[in-house]
Amino acid sequence: MLDKSNKFKIIFIISGSIIVLFILYPIINMIFSTSPLLLFNTLVDKEVIFSILLTLKCSLIATLFAIIFGIPLSYIFARYNFYGKKIIEAIVDIPVIIPHSAAGIALLTVWGRDSIFGRITGLSIVGSEVAIVMAMFFVSISFFINSVKNGFKLVDYRYSKVAMTLGATQFQAFLTVDLPLIKKSIISGVIMMWARGISEFGAIIILVYHPMVTSILIYDRYECYGLKYAKPVAVLLILICLVIFIIMRIIEERGKGDYNKKSK
Amino acid sequence: MIIIKNLNKKIGSFSLKNINLNIQKGEYFVILGPTGSGKTILLELIAGLLKKDSGSIEGVNYKKLGFIYQDLFLFPHLNVYENISYGLKIRKLDNKTIDEKVNKIAEELKIKNLLYRDITNLSGGEKQRVAIARALVIEPEIFLLDEPTSSLDNNIKKDIYEILKKIHNKTKATFIHVTHDFEEALYLSDRIAIINNGEIIQTGTLQEVFNKPNSLFVADFVGCENLFFGNIIDNYFIVNDNFKIYTELENCSNIYATIKANDIIISKERLNSSARNNYYGEIIDINERINFIELVIDAGVNIKCFITHQAFSLFDLKINEKIWISFKSSSVHFFIPE
Repeated sequence: MLDKSNKFKIIFIISGSIIVLFILYPIINMIFSTSPLLLFNTLVDKEVIFSILLTLKCSLIATLFAIIFGIPLSYIFARYNFYGKKIIEAIVDIPVIIPHSAAGIALLTVWGRDSIFGRITGLSIVGSEVAIVMAMFFVSISFFINSVKNGFKLVDYRYSKVAMTLGATQFQAFLTVDLPLIKKSIISGVIMMWARGISEFGAIIILVYHPMVTSILIYDRYECYGLKYAKPVAVLLILICLVIFIIMRIIEERGKGDYNKKSK
Repeated sequence: MIIIKNLNKKIGSFSLKNINLNIQKGEYFVILGPTGSGKTILLELIAGLLKKDSGSIEGVNYKKLGFIYQDLFLFPHLNVYENISYGLKIRKLDNKTIDEKVNKIAEELKIKNLLYRDITNLSGGEKQRVAIARALVIEPEIFLLDEPTSSLDNNIKKDIYEILKKIHNKTKATFIHVTHDFEEALYLSDRIAIINNGEIIQTGTLQEVFNKPNSLFVADFVGCENLFFGNIIDNYFIVNDNFKIYTELENCSNIYATIKANDIIISKERLNSSARNNYYGEIIDINERINFIELVIDAGVNIKCFITHQAFSLFDLKINEKIWISFKSSSVHFFIPE
């Protein structure tokens, strides 16, 4: 007869497995139902390769911007209290809750040809790589900021105070103590940000149909040629992303983690 | 000399109020107070880690400051060597000098064998030594210590006291050490300040504060064994109808008196001595301590006194036995409550 704790464990494992299978089954099914020949042909298809590289490049640039601008904001959220902080935090979370197509339209109204920016400069970001980066940045920055903010919150601020008593300026303390202590949270944020950027579709399609990022190429091939030709592109993108993220998770796990202890 | 004048700081609902302290150069100054009394805030203000609301702090060279927090905050992403050398690297010293200084300090603190160990693998006492080395290696003129031994076992505490004493004697730096531990203050301090609820209540040498507390809080905090409340009428401090103490002070109402247990002499027969205060009482409790025995004697009020184990055996004292106790008027300290 099973004891109570075993029953508890089994129920939780079963319910957890349902979620894992729900995610995994369509992906595995898609991978194994794609013929290797078609996959190989896709691998040498210049349009596909260009699109994947474009997607990786733009999401990487968006992530780099997130690192440069997102870390200071995360630090402010975690370490300072000020009037209106909750409102600003809510603003940063807006991209998580609005439909991404709406995000695309919002960006278009600010940066498109008919926007104030467009009318003054005569420029438009529509159809440019800049627009892809902007769309990716807009829809995924909240994930990065929240991950890094939680990292800073968990590290006692007195580590940097100690560094300052040892002669460091606040900026030196930030670079040599605070940042290394939340390395894991930063890597997590980078993975989430980059992944979210790669998979973005809704905001990008409003701003940039050409050049095609992979998510749009998959949609385009599905619309024009059907499932058979869309599938290998999707499989290829999934495999490339899987390899990249597995490597990043290994780096994240192997490095020293966050030191989220309040004590020594 | 560090001169703190009218220092005020409000954090949330807590306020540090009108702090005035003069700490001599090279002095080992202990700030003694219960948890939540504002000790750490005061230390952080002295270190310049917190911005004061008003008042002034003079005589602190912020570039020559060593600070050790209660929780040490050794950098967990750095090993022992990197922790100790942190302040030297910030000062952009060359690698050879850094190496020499780190090795020298590690040798002095007997942690040379730990230099390349991970911080997370050290014992409490080892971590403490590393924290001291990290602060000491930058050759501070002022050492600020925030309850540095509170999480350590008693035997390790004693080691750390020894190390701190040694460093103080050697470096002649000014030490400001906050603690709630009276024994720590007893062992280390040249002078102490008692802090409570954000206010300095009393300053002086430990003996002065212990023998002559200026308030009920201090008397209680430093553990005055005998504390009485009463009125002085015609050269007698009257606690109740059965107990009065001779004093040369003028008449006064609602006043406290303390008598150190060590100042009370016990005898089987009434002593023929200059002591003006002699009482005949009954032993109602006997408590064994490590170095002495505490007797509680009912002499109209309960009076605690200490005797050595040797004297206790010699007198062969028992509960309910009647004995004489006596003390000099000069052993009694009076203060008017706040």
